[in-house]
Formats: sequence, C-alpha cells, structure tokens
Amino acid sequence: MIRLEGVSKYYPTRFGPKYVLKDLNIDLPDGRDVAILGANGAGKSTLLRLLGGIDFPSYGKIHSDRFISWPLALASGFQRNMSGRENVRFVCRIHGVRETEAIEEYVKEFCELGASFELPVGSYSSGMSAKYSFAVSMGFDFDTYLMDEITSVGDAAFRKKCSQALRDKRESSNIILVSHSENMVREQCNAAILLAYGRAEFYESVDRALYRYRNL
Amino acid sequence: MKARSAFSIQRDVIFAIFLREMNSRFSTYTFGNIWILLEPVLMMSVFVVIFGVRGRGEFGYVEPPVFILASFLPFRLLWQSPMRRNMKAMGGARGLLGFRQVRLFDVFLTRSLVEAGIFLVSGTVLVLGMLWLGFDAVPMDPLKTLYYGMILWLFACSVGILACIVADFAREVEKTIGILTMPLMFLSAVFYPMTIIPTAYRGLFAMNPLVHANELIREAWLPLYESPVADPGYLYVWTLCAMALSIASYRLRWQRMVAR
Repeated sequence: MIRLEGVSKYYPTRFGPKYVLKDLNIDLPDGRDVAILGANGAGKSTLLRLLGGIDFPSYGKIHSDRFISWPLALASGFQRNMSGRENVRFVCRIHGVRETEAIEEYVKEFCELGASFELPVGSYSSGMSAKYSFAVSMGFDFDTYLMDEITSVGDAAFRKKCSQALRDKRESSNIILVSHSENMVREQCNAAILLAYGRAEFYESVDRALYRYRNL
Repeated sequence: MKARSAFSIQRDVIFAIFLREMNSRFSTYTFGNIWILLEPVLMMSVFVVIFGVRGRGEFGYVEPPVFILASFLPFRLLWQSPMRRNMKAMGGARGLLGFRQVRLFDVFLTRSLVEAGIFLVSGTVLVLGMLWLGFDAVPMDPLKTLYYGMILWLFACSVGILACIVADFAREVEKTIGILTMPLMFLSAVFYPMTIIPTAYRGLFAMNPLVHANELIREAWLPLYESPVADPGYLYVWTLCAMALSIASYRLRWQRMVAR
C-alpha cells in the first residue's frame, strides 16, 4: 500500500507559489496497476517523482513499505559520458547489488543495443535511450515500477517486447504508469488516478477514468 | 530486493558515486585516473621549483622548497580543492539525484573524502620525491601535521557546502569566491611565514582563520619554526561555526535544492 496523506506540492515562482498538487489523499492498494491520467501540466510527472522519492511534498506525507523503482523517464539519471555497461554497474551499486555481471548481461540482451551498449550513453538516440532505461529497470526486482511516458518511444518490435516484459513483471509486482496512450493504459492497468482541477480521483475502473479524462 | 540499513545504503552510494566521479572526471584523458595524482603532484612540483629555488636561504631555519611544500600543499589540497569541489557539487549531482538512494549530502561526502585521499597520497609522493632529491621534507611531528590538516579540511568542506547552498539562490557567490581565491591566498600566509609581517599588522592578519591553519601546520611540520600568532582555539571556533552553519542550512534547504 502506498498512502498519500494531505500531499501538496508547490513550486516557488515569481508570481508566488504555484500549486501543482493540492491536498491529495489517496491510497494505492497493492495488486493494482495504476495509470496516472491528466492534461499537460496537471502534475502527473510531479506525482511520479514524489512517489519515487526524488522530490518531496511541500506538505503532507507519503507512506509506503514497498520497494519502488526510480521514476523511469526519458532523461533519467545516467551519466552521459559513461558507457551503458558502466551506468548499469552504477545503478547496481547504489541498489546494493555486488555481483553486477548477471544484471549487465540481462540488460545488454534485453535492450538490443549490441555494441552500442559499450559506448557512452550520451551518444544514444532518444529511442535507444528509452530502450536502455527500460531495460535497466527491468533488471531489478522492485515491488512497484514507476514509468513516465517511457514506453511511447521505441520501434514497434521493442514496444511489443516491453508490453510482454511488463505483463510478466505484473505477475509479481505492480506498475504505476504515466501515459497518454489509451491502448497502453487499457492493456497494462486496472486502476487509474485522474488529475484534474488540482484534485486527484482514484478510479477502480480504467474505462470510467478514461471516459472522464476524455470529457475534461 | 532486500532492505538495507541506512548506513549500508550510504556506504554503497558513496562507493558508487566515487567510481562514477572518477570516471566522469578522467575517462576522457589518455592517462585516465592517473591524472588524479599527476595533477596535484605536477602543480606542486612547479610551485616548489618556482618559489623554492628563487628564494635561496631566505628563511634560515628551513630550505625554501620544503617551506613551500609545507605551506602550499595543505592550502591547495585541503582548503582550495575541497572547498571548490563542494561548492560546485550541484553541477555534477543533477543526474545522480534521479535515484532515491542518492542524497545531495552523499555527493558532498564523497567529494570531501576524495580530496582528503588525494592530499594523503600526493603528499606522500611529494615528500618521498623531495627526500630522494636530498631535502629533509618529512614533517617533524607527522601526527600533529595530519591533525591540523584534518581541521583545515573540515573547515574547507563546511565552507564549500555552505557556499553551494547559498549559491543555489544567489549564483553570484560562486563568482565572488572565484575572484577572492587569489587575494585570499596572498593574505593567508602561504608563501611567507607570519614572522615577516610587522608586529603592528599581525593582529589584522590573524583575523583570518586560514592563517592559523597554515601556521599551525607549519609549526608541526618544520622543526625550527615557531609562529607568533597561531592559536588552535581560534581555528576550532571558526571550524565549528562553519560546520554548524553548513549542516543547519543544508537541513533547511536540501529538499528545495533537489527540486526541479
């Protein structure tokens, strides 16, 4: 269970504090794969960053006893002048994995980058980095995976592979997904949070959430 | 995944950042990681030669190259480098902060420890090199030298953290400190002992805590030197204040600093 208690987040701007999220109270039950829906600027990515623990609510608390992945976005924290393999090692080390060989090989095989895996991450195209970040997170066993639009990039074959991998992961863990693709949401999620008008609503049914989302 | 204690997470993270920093700093050079030692050793050698050979027999109680080594080595590697590395920590930390395990403080801690390590190793190399060339460069009281070096390092790291936090809302601080570095070096009794300052001005010079650090290290390192102003208590107070202020402001600001 991930519980948000009175979570507000604002960013200071020169017009005063700009609230992105205001007083959210949501429980995300275990065993649910949640989509976060909302218009641009509604705070989807911010909510994901809060859940991922790399940004912090201005007020309120987030309680969780789960292993949550880092928020998987296109520009996640990889060192541009280190090779793909070295970045995997870094991620392994901060997660306390000493034997990095197995994960390195898994990621190399999964991301299908071939020799580029040994080249600096900065030289990857956007599609390649999406594949790469996705593959890295699949190398670890989290309880909850956070994904920010990551699956929308990449070629058709890889998207298929991603869907398959996510389906397998969902047997044992959950995902929280930000996506504008309705197909993706329908396929991978069985609950949704709709962010609109500064509020958040939790929907047990994806179809209802999508209906509301379309008619905002 | 299995849960780790806070301590073991921090240990893992610091080790990971350490390797990553080594990589990002030196991987583009032909000689790679050797530069981490080559750079300070080369720079110190140049200074020792330029300033040391010029003033032959100026001091009477110590050979000039040894004098320069005993003053400039700690000042450069325990004050300037850690201070500047910590001040600029945000630039390198941006990417790292995309992982929840990594906190800004780990970046400070890693950089501070790396700088201390560089001092110890390149100091040893330089002292051995000077011995080989026939100078008596070994500190008279090695433990005391290291102890005062450690105080200077703590002071430098705290000032660096403080500068980094202030620079987060006033970038000018970085520029100001950059401009002040040179004059501060000339005011900090690095290339001269306090004994050559006229008695009337010594009090003024002694307001600067770095003067005390340099003089204390010099007293411990050179057998015959006795400083007219050095006061450990004064340095401790400055160090404690800097540490308290930097940790307190870090606690107040760190969440804002990592927010985008």
